[in-house]
This record gives sequence, C-alpha cells and structure tokens, in this order.
Amino acid sequence: MSSIMLIFGPMLLAPFVYFISRGAEWVAKWAALALFVLLLIISVDLYHALPVGGGFLVLGDYLRVPGFDYALTLQVDALSVAMLILTAALLILVVFTSWEEKMQAAYFSLLILFAGPIFGVFMTTNLLWFFIFWEMTLVPMLFLVGIWGGERKVYAAIKFFLYTHFASMFMLVSFFLIYKQTGQMDFTMIKEAMLATPVLIWWFMFIGFAAKLPLFPFHTWLPDAHVEAPSSISVLLAGVLLKMGAYGLIRFVVEMMPATTMQFSMYMVVLGLTTTLFAGFLAIYERHIKKMVAYSSISHMGLVVVAIATVTYDGLSAALYEMIGHALVISPMFLIAGWVHHKTHTWYMDEMGGIMQKAPYISAIFVLAGMAALGLPGTMGFVGELTIIVSAIKAYGWWIAVAAIASLISAGYVIWAVRRAFHAEISPIVAKSKFDMSKPEFLALCIYAVLIVFFGVYPQPIFDIANNAFAMFGGM
Amino acid sequence: MNSLIILIGAGLLVPLFFKGKIVIAKYIATAAFAFAAFNVFMGHGISMEYFTLTPDIQLLEIVVLIVLAATMMTFSGFERPLVSQTLFLGAASMAMLETNNFLMFIVLFEVIAIISYVLGANIRSRLNAEGAIKMFVAGATASGFILLGFALFAMVTPSFNYAEIAIRGNFTLVAVGIMLAGIFYKMTIVPMHGWAGDAYAQINHSAAAILSSVIKVVVVIATFKAFYIFLQAYLNTTVLLFSFFAIITMTLGNFMALFQKKIAKILSFSSIAHAGYMLIPFAAIASGYSYTALVYLAVAYIFMQTSVFLLLNDLRREAHIKTLDDIRGLYQRSPLHALFFTIQLLSLAGVPIMAGFISKAVTFWAGVDAGLWPLVLIAALNSALSVGYYAWVIKHIYFDTTDGYNTSKIYMTPGSLLGQLILLAGTIYFGIFAAPVFVSTGI
Repeated sequence: MSSIMLIFGPMLLAPFVYFISRGAEWVAKWAALALFVLLLIISVDLYHALPVGGGFLVLGDYLRVPGFDYALTLQVDALSVAMLILTAALLILVVFTSWEEKMQAAYFSLLILFAGPIFGVFMTTNLLWFFIFWEMTLVPMLFLVGIWGGERKVYAAIKFFLYTHFASMFMLVSFFLIYKQTGQMDFTMIKEAMLATPVLIWWFMFIGFAAKLPLFPFHTWLPDAHVEAPSSISVLLAGVLLKMGAYGLIRFVVEMMPATTMQFSMYMVVLGLTTTLFAGFLAIYERHIKKMVAYSSISHMGLVVVAIATVTYDGLSAALYEMIGHALVISPMFLIAGWVHHKTHTWYMDEMGGIMQKAPYISAIFVLAGMAALGLPGTMGFVGELTIIVSAIKAYGWWIAVAAIASLISAGYVIWAVRRAFHAEISPIVAKSKFDMSKPEFLALCIYAVLIVFFGVYPQPIFDIANNAFAMFGGM
Repeated sequence: MNSLIILIGAGLLVPLFFKGKIVIAKYIATAAFAFAAFNVFMGHGISMEYFTLTPDIQLLEIVVLIVLAATMMTFSGFERPLVSQTLFLGAASMAMLETNNFLMFIVLFEVIAIISYVLGANIRSRLNAEGAIKMFVAGATASGFILLGFALFAMVTPSFNYAEIAIRGNFTLVAVGIMLAGIFYKMTIVPMHGWAGDAYAQINHSAAAILSSVIKVVVVIATFKAFYIFLQAYLNTTVLLFSFFAIITMTLGNFMALFQKKIAKILSFSSIAHAGYMLIPFAAIASGYSYTALVYLAVAYIFMQTSVFLLLNDLRREAHIKTLDDIRGLYQRSPLHALFFTIQLLSLAGVPIMAGFISKAVTFWAGVDAGLWPLVLIAALNSALSVGYYAWVIKHIYFDTTDGYNTSKIYMTPGSLLGQLILLAGTIYFGIFAAPVFVSTGI
C-alpha cells in the first residue's frame, strides 16, 4: 500500500462511511475501530522499519510542482513514529470511550476524517504540507466540539478555531521566510542549508507552536475548548493536538535551529515555568472538576517546554517521555471528570463527595491517574517529572529545581480534588445519582491504568525510541 | 474565432426560447460554453491581430468558461434574462483575457462594463433597481476616469501594443494613476468600494455570482497584463501604492463583513476583502512568482465565490433565505446545500486543503519573495480574521437548530447539484494539484 493512502485514505473514506452508516449507525463505529487498529498496526510496523541509529525512513514523494517546493514528501523518524503510535492508540481508545455517543454516523466519520491529516502532520517533512495538515485537523475538531459539546460549545469551538488559526499564520509567514533564505521547503534539506538570520523566523514559529501547546499567555483557548468538548474529544485535544505543538517545537524549532534555540532558551524556560506554576495555581483555585484537569494539562505541557528548552539529549528524551505520559495520564482524568458530570449533572467538586463509595473501581482509576499527575513513583508521572528536572538541572544549574514546586502544586490540587469529590461524605447529589458505565468505556479506562503503571515501572521502550530519535544530540 | 462566433451566436439565439421552454435555452448555452472551452483546450484562441493565446490565458479561459457553464446549469426559469448576457460575457471575457493591445483593453473593459450593468438590472424590483443604479453610476464615473487617463497616455505613446508601449516619465505616471483610479472602482478597492457592498447584495444573486467572480477576475488579470510594464517601470511607487491599497481593502472588507446580518452582504464584503488579497501580487511585482500567484488567486476565487453566491441564490429562490437567522439549522432542511456552502466558505476562509488556501499561500510566498513580509503578515492575519465571519455562517448552519423558525425541507434541483459539483471539483482539484497553474504560467 502506498504511504500517501495513510493520509488521504481516511479522508476519502470518511464521506463513504457517513453515507453508508446513516441507516445503520453501528457500521461507523466498527469502521472507525477497524481503521484505527489498522493504523496502529502500520505505525508499529513503521517503527520496526526505521533505520538503526537514527535518521529518516523515506516513504515517498508525491504531487511535485515545477518551480515551487510544494512536494508532499513523506519521511518518518523515531520521533514521528512515536507520535503516530500514540495517535493511533488514543484514537482506538477514543472509539471505546465514545461507544454510546449520539449521532454516531456523523461523529465517527468526523473522527475518521481527523485521522488523515493528523497522520499527515507527523509524516511529512515538507513545511507547506505540514502546515496544510496542521490546519486541516482544526475542521473536524470544530465540528466535534461545536456539535457534541457542552453548554457553551459554540463559543468554545469558534474560539479554539480562531485562536489557533490566528497563531498559525505567524508560522506560515516564517515558513515562507525560510523558503526565501534557503530555497527549500523540506525540513531535512533546510537543516543542511543552515539559516543565516533566523531570529524573526524563530519567534514567528515559536508563537505558532506556543499557542498550540499552549504556553502562557496564549493558553486561554484551552480551558474553554477542553471543558466544553465531549470527554473523548478532550482526550484527543490533550493527547494529540497539544502534542502537535510539542512535536513542532522539537522538530522545527530545536532540530532545525539549534543554535538560535540555545540563544533564546532562557525565554522558553521562563515561559514554560510560568505556564507550569500559573496553571498549577489556577488548578488549585478551580471548583470545576474538568477545568481543574484542563489546567493540570497546561501545567504539564509547561514542563515539557522546560525540557525541550535544554536542547540536550537528556532534555528531549524527557520531553518525549512526558508527552506520552501526559497523554496517558490526563486522558482518564478527563474521561472520569466528564463521566462524573454526566452522572451527577454538576461540574463542581464541592457539590460532589463520596463517589468512591458508589463507584469504587472508576474512582480508583482517577486516584491512580491523579497520583501519576503529581509524580508518584511507579507511575509514568514520576519518571517524566524526574527526568525533566534532572536534565534541566544539568543544563541550567540548581536554581531550576524550582520546577519541582510544580509537583508540589499538583499534589495540592489532585489530593484536594480527590478528597472533595471522591472521598468525603456522600453528598445529596451523589446519593441520588446512579453510577454506571458501559463496558467498552470501562475497558478503555483499565487500559489507560495498565499503561500508566507499565511504562512507569518499565520506561525502557519509550527511551529506546528517544534514543533513536535524538541520536544527533549525542545519545547514550 | 470559432468560439467567439458560437458564444455570440448562441447569445442571439437563446432569447427565442425565453417564452417557451427555458430548458432549451439552458442546454444551448451550456453546449456553447462547453464547445468554447473545448476549443480553447485544443489551443484555438481568437487568432486575430491584437489577440494571443498563451498557456496561462488558456487555463484561465477554460476555468471561466467551465464556471459559466456550471452557473448556467443552476439557472431556473426565474433567471432566464441572464442567459444571453452570460453568453456575451463569455465571449467578451475571452477577448479581454487574450488581448495584447491597450486600446483593445480599454474598449473591452467598457464592453464588459455594459454587460455587467445589464446583468445587474435584469430583474425588476425596487431593491434590485437600487443596486443596479449604484453600480451604473459608479461604473460610469470609473469609465470617465479611465478615458481621461487613457487620453493622456495616448498622447505620448507611439503604439498601443503591450510590447511597444513607451513610457515618458512622470507624465505617464499621472496618466496611469488616473486610469488606475477608474479601474479600482471596478476591482472594488477601498475607498472606491462603496457601490459593491450594496450592489452585490441587492441585485439577483446569480448575477452577483457572475459579477463578483468572473467579471472581477477577468478585469484583474487583464489589468495586470496591461499595466505590467508600468508596474515594473515605477517599482517604488507600485510597491507603496499597492501595498497601501491592499492593506486597507482587505482590513476594511473583513471588518465590515464581521458586522453584517445579511448573508449576501457578508459575501459582498468578503469579495471586497479578496480584492485586497489580489493586490498583493501587484505589489510583489519584483518577484517572479507574482503573476503565478495572481492567476492562482483568480482560478481559486472564481470557483469559490461563484459557488457561494449561486447556493445563496438557490436558497433565496426556494426558501426566501436572506439573513443569518433564516439560515439556522440549514443542515436539517437541506444537507446538500449545507455541505456545499460549508466547504466553499472554509475554502474562502483559507482553510486547507481547498484551493482558497493554496492560492493565498502562493500569493503570500510571492510577497515574501519580493521582500514584503510585513504586508504578507498583515494579509495572513486578515485571512485568519476572516474565519470569524465565515465560521459564524457555518455556526448558524450546523450548530444552531431550526427551533422556532421555518423547518420546511429545501430541495436541490439536479441542474443545481451538477453545477455545484463542478464548482466543488474545481475548488478541491486546484487545492491539491498546484502543477497546472505553475506549468501554465511558466514558472
């Protein structure tokens, strides 16, 4: 099969699935599941096909245009394959957690439509096509949030779309500035050509990725979008869309302009730390359970930026680990927060209480994910935060240990949230609610729990990938 | 020559069928456009003195003729008076695009202007008449300016052929400036845009579809070809002048569109904003990509803009949809209209993978290539801003329900469906495959 079909296949499939499954909605669900499993298998297969010792695996070169570097060049390295595997795995879990979603034909067709461009983002090395896929992911998300979301869904969907689209424009201009300087649009060629005056380019690109991550002060779209989106879509937003920002930052900012990144790394560190601490304090302050999780998500992405800013092998590996860890840890928290709201019809933690007594297993998974978020040893959170802090101390000295305060803050909001919502006395609202969950949804939560512990105890597979991906920064 | 005869002949023939079966008139017109497009595709242009058919013009003519054919398919009996004017317009557009003589350019410019007045004034209602008169008065003023400028220019040039035009310092500059003032009226450049916002919204939407897309594009491309030598000769003035007008046109167009409640008005101001983007290649004349960018913008814009106005025409004819409130929950009433409208609006907003994005991207690249990155950044942010009102329309179509409003179903006629499919195919084809435009413009 041609590798371009990994991208355009789902996009062409989506309308067919929609029309076929309008009469029989289960078709869409199973078609989506089958497609995502296939994508996962292909992604794992790609990982095994990667060249040993780092570097790109060339998959093809399509749609070449004379006189303009607008060729859809598909190349993957360990970093992109890691993202592909993560995306495919999360998409499968999202199918499980949306098993009983309403209007399934449209919902799952949009998910299939989303799978195409998101694979494109991680597979192409051509800047213009990267931008095309990057923007295309917004369209299905606009509809998924705007149609299936909560009370303020329209506001959230349009704000999300406008905000990220606006920031991306800086990125587009920077891509053209690069093309003007080097005459190349392909990432691998630009890296060899070396940019002469990259300062403006660096900042424009940084703004584009920072809004996606999101970094303070560009983060205001996230709480709205994540809270109003249906929980499964919050998982995709946090697990995949934010990772696009981090991926872009590593690939196009750090790998393409390492010297300039070193020059401005202190700005990145300061912004990352500000984001982490600021979002952490907001999470403590929050009564709204899903907003608390959303701020926790922003807080962790701030740490990822601190790790990326070191521009060292250690830091980037830690960043990659934390990116995957963040996706796996924050997803069950979003799902359970959304589920609790669905059952109790309240968002506020002080109106909940005693959920543990009525739904012990699901509450236990929330507690586990929460403990991972605050960095409990034996979970992914611990390995992620430890490696980030160690690499940052190596790069910047002891003062950076203030980043560890983030862990303290997250302990604050997680433990307090667990105390208020899950332990405590049974509140009247919880007493009269019925806490049941469909089997596929519960299965997905269990898979998350297992993965959090598995990679927490045995992180080697992820560091193997990192070893391959960041070999050029002097691997181990 | 054949194509011209067929188009004009068909234009004279079709009124015979207006009283009886309008379908026959539609078939004749569509066949004439198809024949002309095929003829151009085979490389047969007008082949007379003062006219040359180059590959880029060939592509544009095929696109224009196909779009006009698709427009024809969506017509119902209600739009019958437009059929013959559309055929004449097809012929005039071919001539306008192919000409390489300045006198011819001026004459054809007036021909197209007259066709546009008739197109606008065809269907009689008070609102329509108001729009048509605004357009006519503005157009007449523009003609005056153009003729004054042309007269000054004619005093000093020995020949009108584009290749042999002589430039005499500031005298020619003044003449060119006066001509441009007139042409800017037609291109709806701020501050000469006042008529367009009203006229496009008030005249029949199918006429507005042709006016705001085909006519605007033909005028812009022909102007670029005719004025190329001046733009090169006064490079500094060109950059300053066109950057200035590009910025105020797109910014004002976008901001005005944000505050509109009538969908036709939103589309009118979006059309004005797009005129602003079309000035970027003029400003970026120093770049080798400027002409390619303009052709790409033209090709993409013509498909998108025609499609949205024709869809609105359908909706107004079938269900009296005029404002954003009327369009609420359209996806329940007519999924097809909703889908076509959404895709074309996203394309206009510059969302990949449709032609709207890549045409803007090539334009931005031409700007950056000419060293005008601040202009490009403003244009790019403007383009992001425009998502505000396009997404607002989409919000009414998909995220709102028809609660409390008219819920009757709206059906799409087979002709309309076919026409829209052709336009959608064009929007998506040129969004993915950039090679035809780059090859034909010789990059």
